[in-house]
Order: sequence, then C-alpha cells, then structure tokens
Amino acid sequence: MAAARRAYDGMRIRRGRIAQSKHDHLLREYIKNNLNDLIQQKELIVDGRVKTQIATLDLPTLKYGEEVPVLAQGQGGQGGGKGAGKGGQDAGGEMQMLGGILGGDHHGRELRVELDFDEFVRLAQEVLIGQMELPAFHEPVGQGEVESEDIAELDDLDRIGLRADLNLEETMLHSLRRNARERGVLDFDVDIQQDAWYFVEDPSSFENHRSVEIYVLDISGSMRGEYLSLVRKTIFVLWYYLEQRYPTNLRKYVVFQDVAEEKSRDEFFSVESSGGTHISAGFEKAMELLEGVTEYDKFLFLFTDGETSSSDFDLAKRRYEEALERFDLVCYGHVNPGGRSVGGFSEHVQEAARRHPSATFANLTDLESVKGAMAEFLNFFKERAGRRPCRSIRR
Amino acid sequence: MQEYQKVIARLERLARDRGLSFDPVFFRLTDSDEIAEVASMGLPNRFVHWLWGGAYKELSIQQAKEVFSILELVLNTSPSYAFLRHTNTYLQNVLVIAHVYGHVDFFRNNHWYRKSNKNMLNEAELHARIIRAYEAKYGREKVEELLNQMLTVATSVNAFERNPAERHKRLIYYLEEKFWESLRRRLQEALGLTDAELDQLALTEDVMDRLPADAAELVLKTHLLRMIREEAEYFDIIQRTHIINEGWATFVEAELLREILSTREWATISVQLSNRPAPYTIGYTLFKHIRDARGFDEVLRVRRDYDDIRLVDAVLTEEMVQRLDLFVYDPKEKSKSYDLHQVKDMLIAQKLYKGEPHIEVEPGDGGELVLRHHEEDKKLDPKRIERFLRAVRGLWGPNVRLWANGKCYPQPPAA
Repeated sequence: MAAARRAYDGMRIRRGRIAQSKHDHLLREYIKNNLNDLIQQKELIVDGRVKTQIATLDLPTLKYGEEVPVLAQGQGGQGGGKGAGKGGQDAGGEMQMLGGILGGDHHGRELRVELDFDEFVRLAQEVLIGQMELPAFHEPVGQGEVESEDIAELDDLDRIGLRADLNLEETMLHSLRRNARERGVLDFDVDIQQDAWYFVEDPSSFENHRSVEIYVLDISGSMRGEYLSLVRKTIFVLWYYLEQRYPTNLRKYVVFQDVAEEKSRDEFFSVESSGGTHISAGFEKAMELLEGVTEYDKFLFLFTDGETSSSDFDLAKRRYEEALERFDLVCYGHVNPGGRSVGGFSEHVQEAARRHPSATFANLTDLESVKGAMAEFLNFFKERAGRRPCRSIRR
Repeated sequence: MQEYQKVIARLERLARDRGLSFDPVFFRLTDSDEIAEVASMGLPNRFVHWLWGGAYKELSIQQAKEVFSILELVLNTSPSYAFLRHTNTYLQNVLVIAHVYGHVDFFRNNHWYRKSNKNMLNEAELHARIIRAYEAKYGREKVEELLNQMLTVATSVNAFERNPAERHKRLIYYLEEKFWESLRRRLQEALGLTDAELDQLALTEDVMDRLPADAAELVLKTHLLRMIREEAEYFDIIQRTHIINEGWATFVEAELLREILSTREWATISVQLSNRPAPYTIGYTLFKHIRDARGFDEVLRVRRDYDDIRLVDAVLTEEMVQRLDLFVYDPKEKSKSYDLHQVKDMLIAQKLYKGEPHIEVEPGDGGELVLRHHEEDKKLDPKRIERFLRAVRGLWGPNVRLWANGKCYPQPPAA
C-alpha cells in the first residue's frame, strides 16, 4: 500500500505547482515593471515586508470602484474557520464578509502581494543591474569575511590562545617559577593547563574583516518621491557590490534633518520627511557610530540635496573633513533628480572630493548617473588593491 | 483506506434508509497538497493556468500556517470521487464521509444538477489536451492570452438561464454565438455543407484543416471559448447552489452521525458543526427549520427542487437572521442592517451575479459590441474598465464600448 502510494506520488503531475510557477513568474514580471512606483512608497517596509498596491495577480474582470454594502455574518461563537473576506478589520475583526460567491471559499478574496524585503531587494537589483548595464564584480565572492594574504601581528600575550601560537619561552619560565614555588625544585615540568602563555593579536589593533557601512539620509522636507526613489535605487545597487565583497557586512542607518538619529533598517526605509537640514549633524552621528567598531573597511554613504542651512555651512565643512580622516571612503550623493546645477554644500564637497583620495562625489540626477557613481565606487576597490595589499587572517 | 470500509458501508446504508440516493462513490485518501491542488483548479486534471497557481499558493500557505485546511473534496461526476486527507483524524474522516453522502445525493437528485455535465472529469482532461495541442500549433503566448481574455468574460455565464434571449445578453454566450455564426459561414463556403450537416458537425482537426488558412484564428477562438464556457458552467452550478448544497451535506452529516457516534463523540462533532463557514451554517439552519416545521419528506423535496435563491427566499425568517447574526454591512456608514428584506435582497443579488457588476450586451450595429452596466447607483473602478475593455477587444475586435459610471468608455470622439 505504502509502496503503491509512493509510486503514485512519483508519477503524479503536480499541476498545482506548475500553475504556481507560472503565476509567480508573471508576478515577478509585474513587480519588475512597476518597480519604480513601488520603490517610491513612503513606507517601503511595513512589518519587515514590502507591501504592494497590487492584489494577487487577477484577471481584468470588472469590479465596483467604491465600497458597496455587503452581506456579512457576525463571529459570535461561529463562523471562523475558512476564508474571512477582506475588510474584516473594519468593524473590529468581528465579522465575516460574505462577498462574491458567498464566503467560505478562497476565491474572491483580495490579497495584496507582499514580499520579503530581501526578496524585493533582489528583484530590484535584478532590474536595476539590467537597466543600467553595470559591470559584473570580479572579486571572488567570499565565504564570510574578506580574505587577505599577510599575517596578523601577534604582538601581545594571553593565557588563552591557540596551541600553534604557544610562547615557549614565557611558558617555560612560568613552569620554572611554579615548580620552585610549589615543590621547591627548579624543574621545567610544564603543565600546559597551568603554565601556557600564547602569542595573540593586540586587541586594541584587532580588526575583523567585514565592512561597516553607515548610510546617512537627509530627510528634510524636500526629500521625497523621485528623491527617495533615486536614493533607494542607489543603495540597492551599492548593496549588490558590497555584499559580494563583504558577505557579512555590518550596516548602520542614520537619518537627519535638524538633528540626526540612528534608525533600524526598516525604519530607515519608512521615513517621513520634514524639517530643516543640518548636514553636520549627519556626519557627527555617523562618526559617533564608529566608536568601538573594528570592521576592516569603513564606508560612509551620505545622501542629501545639499541644502544645508547657512548657519551650518562651516560646521558641516569641518565635520566632512573629519569624516574623511576616519572613514576609508566617504561617498557623498547629491540627490538631484531635476538635474539642476550643483550648489550649496554639495558644490563644496564636489570640489573637495577631487583632491581627497578617500572621497567620492556623485551627482545623482538619474539612473545613468548612478551608474557613473558605481564606476567610481568600484574604482576604489581597484585602487586600494594596488595601494595597500589586503591582509589576511590566519586560522 | 481499509479501516474506513466498514464505516463507509454503514453510512451508505443509513443514507439509503433515509431515502437518499447516489451514484457509486469512490473514496481516496490523499495529502493536503493534492487537495489544495484540486481545490484551486476545480478539477484534478484541468488545463494548467496561472490563475489557479495563485489560488494554490495561497491555499498551500494557509494550510502550512494551519490557518485553515480543507478536510474534504468531492467532485460532481458520475461516479463520484471524494478525497479524504490521511492527516485527518479517524473521527474527522468519518464526519467527512457522512458529509460526502449529503453532497453526492444532492448531485444526483437536485433538479439543477441533473442537467449538469457528469462527465466533466473526462471533458476537462480532453480540454487540457486540446489546449496543449493548440499551444504547440499557435504558440503558447497566443493561446494563453486568449485564455486570459476568455476567463475574464467567463464570469458572465449563468448555467441556470434557459431563455435564449436572456442568455444572449450575457457576454460569453453572445461572443460564442457570434464566433460560431462566422465559423459556420466559413465552413459553408469552404465545404458546401447544408445547415443540417453543419449542426451535426464536430470540430475535428480534419474538418479544420480543410478551411482556408485565414480562418485558423476563428477556429481557435470558437473552440477555446466553447471549452471555457462549458467548464465555467460546471462551476457556476456549484456556486449558485453553494448554500443549499453545503447546508444539505451538513444536515445529512448530522443526521447520519447521530446514529453511529457516542454521546461524547457527538458532542465534539456538534461543536464542529456550528463552527463552519457561513454557507454551511446558513444552509444547515434552513434545513433544520424545514424538518422541524414540515417533516423529513419535505426536506427531501426541497433538496430536489430548490436552488440557493429559492431556499433563502422561502425559508429565511426574521428570527433566523438574528440567530445567525446575518446582516447587510455598509462600509461607508459602518452600519449593520438586520432587516429581513434587505438581507434577502442582498443574498439574491449576490447569487444572481455572483457579486460581479451586472453587465449586459446591448444590440449594436454591425461590427460593434455595446455593453452596459445596469446598476446605476454603483460605480465601477475605472482602472479595471480599461483593462477589461482591452481583454474584450482581444476577442471581439476594436469596436467595443461600455456604458458605465454615467458615461461611455472609451469616450467617443467629439463631433
């Protein structure tokens, strides 16, 4: 019986799954085609997911354009079970709409398509990389951390360490002293448990081999719609490259207007824009977040329209210079979907970035300009490869 | 399956003792996945379309999350096929078997079902094969696009409508007739057949190959639309009898189980009985009412002669509306109405047009297709109107107009 069942399962054509893969294929196409609208949603992430305006793919049948009265059943001790229709929440979740062919059926329900944020980013990257015809990244994809070749300097000692890093001299001396003290004999009777000393890396100079990326976004009143769309697209494309080089990177998010605040990823992609602009606050917060960070490469990505208030101008300049010292790379994205000439603080950064090796400036007017920015960004890796050979981690 | 044979035989005997009758029933144990598959496609071997894929995905997700699961599935065919889940408990499956006997009795005896196509399992398989052959011949994209368009207009079927003039007002029948008229003319010209011969003609490949090449599109459309309409009618009957059919099956289930279960088992079951989706509880309450007021013979008569609309219209009372907590909800006013007439009207309206806007074909001249939305107090979603008209144009041609929202879509060019 069981064997017959297995044989049957093996032969069965899983039409449901075939149909689902057709459905999902169309859905991906649909989302890709509407990505530009989706990406501009003010609240991109809600409860960790990207909620779309579209219902599950449907046929273009006619529907009422307004809410019309429906038949419903209260849930007072009954109902439950199958398919409560949409809109059940309207009256406190206490009723079951009997729409369409009268409830109890999975048909006729209107579900909005939701995507996992990561899935959304992957789709977006697929579209953007395709649209922009960006180069493939040629560094091999690492397993966990950046691999490099030279040997970390083990210039400190600790009682805990790897056997291979045993400091023989210090261990022997310790053994000698212990034997004299405990047994009154000068003997090298080493007990590893008690006597061992190891070479270790100086914790103060310890670096792990991930990157820390700090994203700083101007959320003053002017940053919305196309502005947000460009920033998000740029970030998604950046992630594509960064994830291949640093699969375990650490990301931090900051938003600022008059003051700056650290946000979670989900909050960062669901910000309300308002208030004035103090770019210096953004830089300050970013540097604050570097405290205690041991990551190998430190990147700062700041996106703004450059309209910092005039009182902030000089302070912002100073903070920018400081940031250049403390980060491996400071990318300044001047968000400018109208393609106007670069002015204000952005003009200053544009000038400064020409002189400073760890600074880039991008005038983000459209996708094409994001492409230019990426080329410059990738250049950083190339130059760095020539300038300072990557170090390797032992072990 | 062995463990259920005894109880199946017993329930079958009990059902027959009560005057129920049915075609042979084949029970099969299967898994949730197959049940989700059949439930989303409607029939196990139907042609594969992305629309079922969406439903299947949703069902699979809900079953995985245990939001709800389908316990049972039965097909209106002769013989009848019923699926039991092997993950159900023994008691659940006993309940399902009793429920199934209600359905198969309804399939065999209800007036509307007697005329339904009991061979649909085979027909659907045949349709799927023909569609695959057309895909190979005309390209998958072309066929899929036509299927999308046809499934869009297929919501206009009404398997209960026997009056040709009324059927003519419904889009899918209108299109089918016009396609067939054109095809007939082409066949007459090409093959020189008489009307009588044409009426007997089956659309075989051999016949179609004798038509001129430019008739290929017409053949494809006519044939596909006929298959889609036949399948849509099969499901339409089920939808128009949802309350009476589920109500009857639940009623029979309770009647049969009372005989064979212990008090304790019966207690757990009766909780389940009242904890069902609305059509089940509404229908069950109506049948119980008829039995208590007029006896079991009357119950049998109602299940034979009525459909949802007639059942609701004849039996639903003010008191039942209150007890079932059934009301018309107005989302704009956020108000509930327990008025019997309003509730009845709403139920009946939803049954007549399945909750879809009420659209009719109007007589137009020549190559024009004119549609009109008939509920003046309700507005249609203009975005969907555009998409809908595009689909209809794919079938009919460029001249399609729809009167809705107090204007004409598309706007006629200014004079």
